Amino acid sequence: MLEFRTQGYNGYSVKYSPFFDSRIAVAASANFGLVGNGRVYVLGLTENGIVADKWFDTQDSLFDTAWSEAHENQLLTAGGDGSVKLFDITLAEFPVQSWQEHGREVFAVHWNLVSKDTFLSSSWDGTVKIWSPNAPASLTTLPTHSCTYSAAFSPHSPSILSCVSSDSHLRIFDLRTPASASNHLTLSIPIHTPPKPRMGAAASVGIPPAEALTHDWNKYRETILATAGVDRVIRTFDIRAPGAGPIAVLPGHEYAVRRISWSPHLSDILLSASYDMTCRVWTDGSAMGVGSVQQENMLDDPMVHGGGREMGRMGRHTEFVTGVDWCMFGAEGWCASTGWDERVLVWDCRAIMQ
Amino acid sequence: MFVAQERLSQVSNHLSGGSKGGKQALLEKHPDDVVVTCALRTAITKGGKGGFKDTAAADLLHGALQALLQRSNVDPSLVQDIAVGAVLAPGGGATEFRAAALAAGFPVTTSTKSLNRQCSSGLQACVDIANAIKSGMIDVGIGAGAESMSQQYGPQAVTEFSELLEGHKLAAECKVPMGVLSEKMAKEKGIPRAAQDAFAASSFQKAVTDEEKTITVGRDDGVREGITAESLGKIRAAFAKDGSIHAGNASQISDGAAAVLLMKRSTAQRLGQPIIGKFVQASVVGVPPLLMGVGPAAAIPVVLEKTNLSKDDVDIWEINEAFASQCLYCVNELGIDVKKVNPKGGAIAFGHPLGVTGARQVSTLLTELRRTGQRVGVTSMCIGTGMGMAAVWVAE
Repeated sequence: MLEFRTQGYNGYSVKYSPFFDSRIAVAASANFGLVGNGRVYVLGLTENGIVADKWFDTQDSLFDTAWSEAHENQLLTAGGDGSVKLFDITLAEFPVQSWQEHGREVFAVHWNLVSKDTFLSSSWDGTVKIWSPNAPASLTTLPTHSCTYSAAFSPHSPSILSCVSSDSHLRIFDLRTPASASNHLTLSIPIHTPPKPRMGAAASVGIPPAEALTHDWNKYRETILATAGVDRVIRTFDIRAPGAGPIAVLPGHEYAVRRISWSPHLSDILLSASYDMTCRVWTDGSAMGVGSVQQENMLDDPMVHGGGREMGRMGRHTEFVTGVDWCMFGAEGWCASTGWDERVLVWDCRAIMQ
Repeated sequence: MFVAQERLSQVSNHLSGGSKGGKQALLEKHPDDVVVTCALRTAITKGGKGGFKDTAAADLLHGALQALLQRSNVDPSLVQDIAVGAVLAPGGGATEFRAAALAAGFPVTTSTKSLNRQCSSGLQACVDIANAIKSGMIDVGIGAGAESMSQQYGPQAVTEFSELLEGHKLAAECKVPMGVLSEKMAKEKGIPRAAQDAFAASSFQKAVTDEEKTITVGRDDGVREGITAESLGKIRAAFAKDGSIHAGNASQISDGAAAVLLMKRSTAQRLGQPIIGKFVQASVVGVPPLLMGVGPAAAIPVVLEKTNLSKDDVDIWEINEAFASQCLYCVNELGIDVKKVNPKGGAIAFGHPLGVTGARQVSTLLTELRRTGQRVGVTSMCIGTGMGMAAVWVAE
């Protein structure tokens, strides 16, 4: 396990470069992101451990970062002051572009993986904004009317994006639909829907809504998303059956889940980071049998209420873990995590899986 | 610092479960909930002439504890502490209650204490046990109350006030008799006698159709049939010539005992104990001694705020009827639906054995909530010398 100390800054997000297997970006904030400066680190993995190649300081806290998919030296930051900034690591000190439109803290930035000329941001002001690095203002604003902690483009389509917010809903937007009253909103799935009752399983009682903090698109099964948040449970949904409730329900974290990420290598493997100071590896159960939603009342569906399970946990962080990401290159299983303990850990999750 | 404050509360919401709170959160079941698996009371009989007039408070407690063991079938050696609320017993009744617990079949390892917070002693006993369970000091306990007003009611229950206390205005007011100060309060707060009598009569009428089971053989002999506001209207006022309070619209002097078996949900499930309800939260608030009757109006908003409930979330209110005047005042002051208050009658109809009432209300409340398929209840009472106590319970 490799370690880097973000002295004086508490980690909020970590992302592997999509271009180099040895480059990691970390968004961090002084004073736990409550008040004070932010800093985004660009770290290099070298034979002598992890070294900081570069860092940029910002006036306000930074809560997320995302690498450009189009340019290997550029990355985005999500600022507490509502700004979205684009930095170029070949330049000193200042961002090449800064967009100031969000009314409150920006909590997520994500680059479009298919059409690489757009990216998005989501904010506590209840909006998701679509941007182009070349345009001075946002291209589109999608309202959610609810503090939106996480938003992401589908890795399979240039015009589909999703977000989760504190009203306990997973929203799917399709930019190809006309910008009518619904503002491209095509689906709004209540995350707290109980799983469909099936034979042999007790019917669920009402589950209270809870803030959703994170979500991710499956990299292989293009209609599958996972969500997680304050109610400590990770759920997977199939957007082809939005009314069916969660397919897999993965309880286990002892406090709110702050970040989840599907494996870039295996279609059933998820990584999570939580306020309970652990990172955990999960399978959603789909690799054990049939892959998707089956007919109702089928007892042999391995994914009824899960079928998934926790496969291992990493407990080396000593404070809230806020960010985790997979390395896309090399041996499957390398990942990085960061948290409020001012540390970035790079580790191989095969070592903890059972 | 405003932004920092907001960000901090956002993060703490993540940790506490956010917008949870309120009724929905209250109804959730957690392994560390403190739950009631058995709650019962003896009959409550008239002081001086009722069925228990010659039964000592400790014997009443013995009866209640024995019945509790029998009905709950709990292994007595698992009960680690018994708290008994009692107001009038000399020395708090500490000695005889310990003896009564042993006689009822508890082993020597089961400890017993008595406590006195006047009319809320029974509730305080339950809350003490619940808090001891929450903190991990004990696993299983009993909150109880026992009182023989027949044998122990009288001037000897209060020590003479010293000159120091007599010389302090507020302090001296602590010993003004309840009837006298309630009369004053009724006048001051403008609660007319007709309203008091109507409230008292309805207490009797509700209690007549009482379906609550009592355990020690016998029935509540304070409940009289055929009471109406008109019939009460003829009774002479007791505390002032032009007064409004009389025997018919004040609580009765009574004997009785009650007991509540408490433990964590996880313990109850392990022992196979049936869960009938859970304890959520309690509050206690002081008020001026001369206005002791307003106690519930002061304590109830506090406990509702602690539990993030609105008054409409509460299905049944058990507010002790020390006097029709003060109970009615509190109901009006809080703006709660009088139909939800004491649906099985209250202390005016079947009596107010001082230290018992708080524990008795738990059994009355949970029984009625369960019978009617409702969930959330509040028990509350005013407390002599000027206090109010309230607790939120959920039936399951």
